[in-house]
Order: sequence, then C-alpha cells, then structure tokens
Amino acid sequence: MTLFQWINHRSAALLALAAAAAVAAPSAVQAQSAKSALNLAMVAEPQTLDPMATTADLVGTIMQHVYEPLYTFDAKWNVVPMLAESLPKVSPDGKHYSITLRKGVALHSGRELTADDVVASLRRWMEVSPRGKAVAKEVAELSAKGAGQVEITLKNPYAPLLPQLALPTGMAAIMAMESIAQPLKEFVGTGPYRFRERRPDQYVLLTRFEAYSARKEAPSGYGGRKTALAEELRFVPVPSANTRVEGALAGQFHFADLLPIEALPRLEKATGKVVPIMTASFGFPYLVFNTREGVMASQPARKAVQAALGQGEMLAAGFGDTRFFVAEPNHFPKGTPFYSTAGAESYNERDAAKAKAQAAQAGYKGETIRILTSRQYDFHYNMALIMAEQLKRAGFKAELNVVDWATLVQRRNDAKLWDIYITHSGQFPEPMLSPPQLGEGAPGWWSSPAKQAALTALNQETNPAKRAALWGKVQQLVYDEVPYINVGKFNSLSARTAALDGYTPATWPFFWNTGLKH
Amino acid sequence: MKRYLLSRLAGTLVVMSLVAVLVFVLTRAASGDPVAVLLGDQATAEDIARVQREYGLDQPLVVQFGYWLKELAQGNLGQSIFLQRPVTQALWERAEPTTLLALMAMSIAALVGVPCGIVSAVFRGKAVDQVFTGLAMLGASIPSFWFGLVLMQIFAVSLGWFPVSGYGDPGAPLLQRMHHLVLPATVLGVLNSALIIRFTRASMLDVLGEDYVRTARAKGLAEPVVVLKHALRNALVPIVTVLGLTVALMIGGAVVTETVFGLPGVGNLVVNAVLRRDYPVIQGALLVVAVVYVVINFLVDLLYTVVDPRVKF
Amino acid sequence: MKIPRVLKKLFGRRIVLAAALCLLVVVLVSLLAHVLSGYDPNETAVSQRLSLPTSSHVLGTDELGRDLFARIAHGGRYSLSIAALTAAGAITMGTLLGLFAGFFRRLDAPMMRVVDAMMAFPDILLAIALVAILGPSMLNVVLALVLVYTPRVARVVRASTLVVRELLFIEAARAVGVSTWRILWRHILPNLLSPILVQVSFIFAYAILAEAALSFLGVGVPPEIPTWGTMVAGSQQYAHQALWVVLFPGLAIVVTALSLQLLGDGVRDLLDPRLKKSM
Repeated sequence: MTLFQWINHRSAALLALAAAAAVAAPSAVQAQSAKSALNLAMVAEPQTLDPMATTADLVGTIMQHVYEPLYTFDAKWNVVPMLAESLPKVSPDGKHYSITLRKGVALHSGRELTADDVVASLRRWMEVSPRGKAVAKEVAELSAKGAGQVEITLKNPYAPLLPQLALPTGMAAIMAMESIAQPLKEFVGTGPYRFRERRPDQYVLLTRFEAYSARKEAPSGYGGRKTALAEELRFVPVPSANTRVEGALAGQFHFADLLPIEALPRLEKATGKVVPIMTASFGFPYLVFNTREGVMASQPARKAVQAALGQGEMLAAGFGDTRFFVAEPNHFPKGTPFYSTAGAESYNERDAAKAKAQAAQAGYKGETIRILTSRQYDFHYNMALIMAEQLKRAGFKAELNVVDWATLVQRRNDAKLWDIYITHSGQFPEPMLSPPQLGEGAPGWWSSPAKQAALTALNQETNPAKRAALWGKVQQLVYDEVPYINVGKFNSLSARTAALDGYTPATWPFFWNTGLKH
Repeated sequence: MKRYLLSRLAGTLVVMSLVAVLVFVLTRAASGDPVAVLLGDQATAEDIARVQREYGLDQPLVVQFGYWLKELAQGNLGQSIFLQRPVTQALWERAEPTTLLALMAMSIAALVGVPCGIVSAVFRGKAVDQVFTGLAMLGASIPSFWFGLVLMQIFAVSLGWFPVSGYGDPGAPLLQRMHHLVLPATVLGVLNSALIIRFTRASMLDVLGEDYVRTARAKGLAEPVVVLKHALRNALVPIVTVLGLTVALMIGGAVVTETVFGLPGVGNLVVNAVLRRDYPVIQGALLVVAVVYVVINFLVDLLYTVVDPRVKF
Repeated sequence: MKIPRVLKKLFGRRIVLAAALCLLVVVLVSLLAHVLSGYDPNETAVSQRLSLPTSSHVLGTDELGRDLFARIAHGGRYSLSIAALTAAGAITMGTLLGLFAGFFRRLDAPMMRVVDAMMAFPDILLAIALVAILGPSMLNVVLALVLVYTPRVARVVRASTLVVRELLFIEAARAVGVSTWRILWRHILPNLLSPILVQVSFIFAYAILAEAALSFLGVGVPPEIPTWGTMVAGSQQYAHQALWVVLFPGLAIVVTALSLQLLGDGVRDLLDPRLKKSM
C-alpha cells in the first residue's frame, strides 16, 4: 500500500469516527445521568481538603457535606446544635461548658461517634486552624466524660466560643479519631455525603452516605434534618468566571458559584432554564494597613489616607451597578444586633484637600505607598486602581503591586513588602469571626492598648444585648486607629438550573435536601 | 545508514541532557514559594520550614540537581506539592485529554490543510489560491483564545451543540470525551491548518514543476490523475513530516485552548503549576513535553530517511 | 539595486501594499497617541463605564470608564515596542549564533545541540516558564520571548551561512588572506540579509500574538500596563454586554499580525523566490 493510500484510508476512518462521535455523543451523555448527580461549578481547585487547615470558603463549602461540627448556624444565624444534643450547659461564671453528644451518630467508617473522637478533633482544630489557635488561648481544659459528654473549661468567659465552633470555614470538624493525621489523608466524618475521589483540576466527588444519622428538626440554615437527595455531588473547579456563566446558561452546571455581577442580565433573560441567585450584603471588601513598618505605620498618616478615600467610588468600580453594593459606614447591617454608626463621619470622605493637610501634619514626605493586590478577584484589582487614583489626587505617591493570589498570601506575612493590601470576607453575625485583624498576629499586626481594652470588654461580656452595644466602641476604634478599612457591602451572584429543587441560598452553598426535578 | 542513525541517536541524547539541565535551572530560579501556597495564608514559619525539609527545598542547588537526576533515572519525577501525588501520576492522568486533543486537532488540520493546499497549488495565482492563502494568513494571525471564545459563544452557548467546558463526567465513555473535545480541537486544528496549507502548497508547487510531472502530462494523463496520483505521492513525504512535527507542537501549544475550554490536560497542568509555584510539576511536565518532542523529531527524521530514497547521507 | 524598482516590485502586489499601509497607520496612531486622543489611557471615570462608542469616546469605554481609543493607541506603543524589541533581540542573538555555528565547524555541533534543546519546548510553555522565573514585567516578557525565538532565527541563519560559506568568493578571500572577522562581517553577513529580513517580520508577528496569549493566561505583562493582550484578558468577562471592549483590541492584534505576515511574505518574494520553500 502506498503512503498515499494509507493516508486516504486513515482519513476515511477518522471522518467516520468523527461523524459517529457527533451523532452518538448526546445519547452517550444521557446514558450517564441514570445516576442522579449534581455538577457544581466552583471558583477554583481547593488547595486542600482539610477543612481545619485553611479558612478558604471553597474548602468549607465542599467539606461541610462530609463533616459536621458540634454546633452550627440556622437560617437566622442563631447557633443551633448539630452533633451536640442541645445547647450546652454553661456555668454561671461563663467559664464551664458541658456538651452532651447525640447518641447513635454514625461515622463513615461504620462505627458510632464518641466523645473521644470529638475531643481529638477539637484538639487538632486548636492546633491546626488559625481560629482554633485563637480559641486555644482561651481554653484551660478540654476533656471527654464518658462516651457522650464533652467538657470545656475556659480561662475567662469567652462569648464567641459557640460561633467559633460553628463557622464552616476553618471548621471545627468532628472527625473519626483514627483518621486524624497531619496532613489529613482520609476524610472520615459524619455528614450526609462521604468523600469518594479527588482529581485535581477536574472534580471532587462525594457520594451519598446511606447510613447518615439525621436530626429530627426541620431544616433551617445549616442545621436541622439533612437528606442526601442526589446520589453524587461533583464539585468542578472552573476558574474562568466567564466559563462558569456560560456553563450555567448551557445547562452544563446545575449550580455555578460566585458569578460576576455583570452576568445578571443574561441570567435573568434565561427564564425557565436558569435562576440567578443574588445574596444581598454577602460580604465586605476591606483594606489592611501595615501598622508595624513602613509609611503606613504612623496612625496620623493612616487617618490622612482614610480621608482621601471614596469608598463609594471604589465599590462602583468593583461592582458596577448600585444594585450590587451598598456604601455604608456601619460594619454590620441595619437590623442586626451589632449595628452601629460609630465613626461614620470618617467614611467615604473623598476629601483630597483635607487628606493633603492631614498628611503634611503627619509628616508625610512623599514616600511611595505600596498597594498589594491580585487579579484573582477582579473587584480587588479594580478597587485598587481607583484607590491609587484617589490617593494620587490627594498628593500621595501610590504604586500598585499586582501579584497572583498565592504570592499575595505569602507576601502579606512580610512587613517589609507592603503598606496596604486588599481582600474581602463574608459577612458574619459574630464580629470576632472576621476580619482576622481583630485577633492577634494577622498581617497588619494591629496592636494597641485601646484595642486590647475594647476587645476584652467585648468578649468577656456574656449578655448578648450588652455585648452588642460594646461593638460600637470597637468600630469607633477602627475608624480612629485605621488598622483596616471596611469598604462596604457587596452582593454575590450565583445561579442554579431551574430543575434544581430545594436549593436554599447560603453563604457556603450546601446541597443536601437538594435534588433534580425530573 | 546505521552510522547516520547512531549519530542522530547520540545527538538526540545530548539534546535530552541539555533539556534536563535547562528545565532544572529554569524552574529552580523561579521566585515564589510553593510551600506557602500549599499551607495557606496563616502558615507559620515553622510549618513552612518543615514542609521545605520534606521536599528537600533547603539544600544547595547542585545537590538538588544530582538528587533530581538520580530520581529521574528511576522514573520518579517527584511529588507534586499542590496535588499531593506523584508527578508521573499527574502527568499520566493529564496525558489522555492532551493526546486525544492533539490527535483530533491534527486530523482536522490535515483534513482542512492538505486539500486546500493542493487546490491552492494547482490553481496557483487564481482567485481560489488567493482566497486560501489569505485565509491561511488570517488563521496565523488570530489569537487562539479569541477564536476559542468566539466558537464557544456560537456553538456551545447559543446553539448548544457542544458542552461549554470540561472533559465530561467522571467515568464518561470515550465518545462523550470526544464530544467535549470537538470545539477545542476545531480551534487548534483550524488555526494550525494555516501552516499546513502553506506548506502543502509550497511542497506541491515544487513537485508540480518537476520533470516527471511534465512527462505524465505529456503522456496525456488527465490532470486530476497527474496531481493526485503522481505529484501528491511525492509531495506527501515532506507534508507528512510536517504533520508529525505539528503533533508535537500541539501537545504543548494547546495550553491556551485547554485554559479556555477548561480541559484537564498537560498544558493546563503547567499553567496552574506555574501559578501555584509547584516546582516538581513544572519540571516534570516541561521535561516530558520536551522529550516527547525530541523523540517525535527523531522518529520523523527516521521516517524521512527510510521513505525518501533521494536523501543521501 | 535601484530603490524605486525595488519598491515597485515589493508593492506590485496590491495586498502587500495594503498590508504595509495598514502597518503604517497602526504605527502612526501609536506614536501620535497623545495627539490623537485627549484622554489619559489610565484615567478612570467609573460613572461612564462600559459606554458605547459616542462622539466623545470614539471607541467607547471599558469597565472602569477609561477611553478605549486612548488605550488602544497607547497600548499599541507597548505591544509594538515589546514585539519590536523581541524581534531586534532575537534577530541579533540568532544571527550571531547562526553565523558562528555555520562558519566555525567546531562550534557547529555543540551550538546546534543547544538550539535543538531550546526548540524542544513549545513556544508558549517556554515563555510561561521564563516569565514565571523572571517575574512579570515588560522587560522580562521581552527577554523571555527573545530566548524563545532566538533558536529559530539561529537555525535559519546557520543554514544560509553553510551555503554562503562554500561560495567561491569566500574561498578566494581566504586564499588571499583576509582575516576571519572581515570575512564574517564584510562578506558573509551581507549575503544573509535576505533570510534575516524575512524573519524580522514574522518574529514581530509571533511576538505580538505571544504577548497576547501570555497576558490572557495571566502570566505576561503586569495587568496595569495597557497592552492589547492585557486589555482583552482584563475585559473578557464584560464581552457579552459590551463586545467592543474585547473586539477592538482583538482586531488591533489581528490586523497588525496579519499585516506583518503579508509584508514578510512580500519581502520574501521580492528578495529570494527560492526562499518560498523554507519556512
């Protein structure tokens, strides 16, 4: 056979194959969905599947299906019991918590959950998780009493204890004792789904745990009864926001997370196929100042910068339409317990003249302010550009250092490398959960006697009403000392296919009690 | 001939060693710490140091190179820092989409490029030739991500004929996989057919000017027979070698297409590894891709010398 | 060579003439960006983001309200400078390498092995790795692309050097006792101008496309530098509601790359019809 004939035959075969593929593929696709599986498009590939090791939202979102905490939040952000039988018995002095576990809770490995598992998990959490480490400082003793009781003794009353245990990111996940290792290789929890497979950059696969022990109460928020309606959950990393939108519109994904707000009109047009989900006041972007070293270490200089900034303009640049953001000085939304307008006069001043004057008084001599940001979240970058311009108008010298997120995360630990960086956080009902600068040791290194006093007062007050009032003092302090600037609140946009039944929008999307209509 | 082959083989081995050195030097000189990425934002200095020791990142450069070569010899490309699995496994998992994509794209490029090139050559100077040559030029000027986004918008989103992204469900059959690859393969194939059109045209023009073609025409054979049976057969040899080389190019050059369509291939792996500072993966992927290219080059040379009797040593 | 006749031959084909004019327009617009557009390409005006082309904003605005025409015009300077510097660097280094490899027998094998090793990596992958090492900046992107394209030029120059080296007049020059350096610079190099000139245009075109691809992947020039590539990369998510933000920079890339390649073809046809064979 000549080379030519050989190629000829091969082309014919290839053509036939291609034709067959194009024709047969749709039916092949259908055959696959005999098993009910949900394709969930996520923002990125999770760095790790260890829910304690990182505060990344993505990891919490995925692993909250596999692990459960002792307590969790309901639809109104109240703390409700999950693995615990009920709310703990707290001693009058607020230092002693006695937690009774539910009986007969099944672990994925087959056996029943005991207090020893809980204690071992909490110990690991306090060693490995950043928030856990902060909590560990408050804990004097942690022990199991019998198979069903856990005792926690604190050094001082610590009001945020239960919320800290409940937050899905950096989760105080309860794991089987024998699976505990550093790093975590096996994922054995009590959740309605069990871990099946992880193919990096392709998917994380969770399958239904048939022997799941559900609570009896009606579902509310992250609490109550959880039923695994779908057999399989596939968390697919789709880093390109565009592709997430297109995939949602094309019906390839049953759920697409964190979509660019620009996509809302397109999603709204696709009625009957796709349902856009907008969550108001989902989170807040914030700027962190380096209070330890560099030109921003001086508090008067920081106040001058604050006067120059126009948070409203920054939010407009980041999110476009006023439908998608709120420029307000209060860190907590109106109507919530911690609402306060303390310090509002320092918000959104955008006063270049005042800023210039204040800067001169502060002794600013024209040093360059290094703004560290990343393009991982486009709104960070756009806001940084606007901020740089506002600073320039007030006579500051500003320079943008745009790096990839991994480098930013590394660099922000080094006080020599930056003056301001940008990030964002979800909006939580408990102040101590975010931002980390309210704790100790987070980049920015805010530390002052006033901070110490205000936060101690806040956290040792066990009466919720009195505590709410104490937040105002902390907020005023933040506007005075400017360790960070809360830029405002933004809405998040995600989308689900119209056929997805029972999905309840949440900060960390969950897919129990959720299935496909046929 | 044997001597020639042996000397080519020796040359290839030298090249591969240089490739290894280059790859090692390149990735080691990179800035950015992969350990910080793995451990996340609140890792302490001790955590970072511990993992650095685990991965041998605290030894002097030359020592690391020696260590690396030893591992290579045993077929061990190291452990991916981010993916927590052997690099060889990561590459093996990624090999299928990239290879399948390359083969499909190659087929499209050949099916489009060769016939167009032939027609262009035969009707040299006429409108058809100008149009095809112009299109080939255009194809070589269009950024592949632009083209990919456009095709995705039309065929996946608007018409819904093909999936928007990804490689299919877990455990999907081959046909579903190929369905996901049609658009990306079209992007790669069509844009690369530009090169093939031009090369086929040039090659055919060469051959059509040869004596034996004139003889065939003089014998009174019909033009299509002359072109397809006599000229093409001889023009095919350089064309096939170009096709072979293009496959190798596509394996690495599919980087952008894999990113646009979210395909879990080798190109995507390298881009992510670079963003995550995952040294072992960068090294391993670059090495494998380069070695594959060198090997294919060598085989194509071999094919060329075996098939074309005119080549002398 | 009489200048007028050369130009007539070069631009005899209308398409080549059109390409050259197109290129001229692109270059002029870029050079005269300050004059042609009153807007600062980095000046934001968030209230006017994503507006359609109007009389005040000829090509519309992007997602931060920056004037698109100003950005494309100024962006042209960046994109064209990067590509020009790349071409200059690659041509220079490649010519030196190819010349020495082709002329000095003993250098040939080792140098070509290194060239082969470098060409074993696909363009984009190598560029990505290099930019990752050197860090994202305009200069580093140029350096990376120079390293990527130098081997290609070296190969072509070496091939031509091998041919020219064997020509009779070189032998004669050596017999007469002309020094090696003189032979290289005064006798061989001038005869390499044809293949080199052809390469210039193509490398320029490849560099434009490569920079765009690198920026798209997020591993190219820092995003606040307005090159055409970073413009497309940064605005791609707004493409659906405001097609012009990616259409115009994309067109700029395509038109420039196409004109360069057509021009290169024209130069090749003019200088040496035999070169049609080699790529």
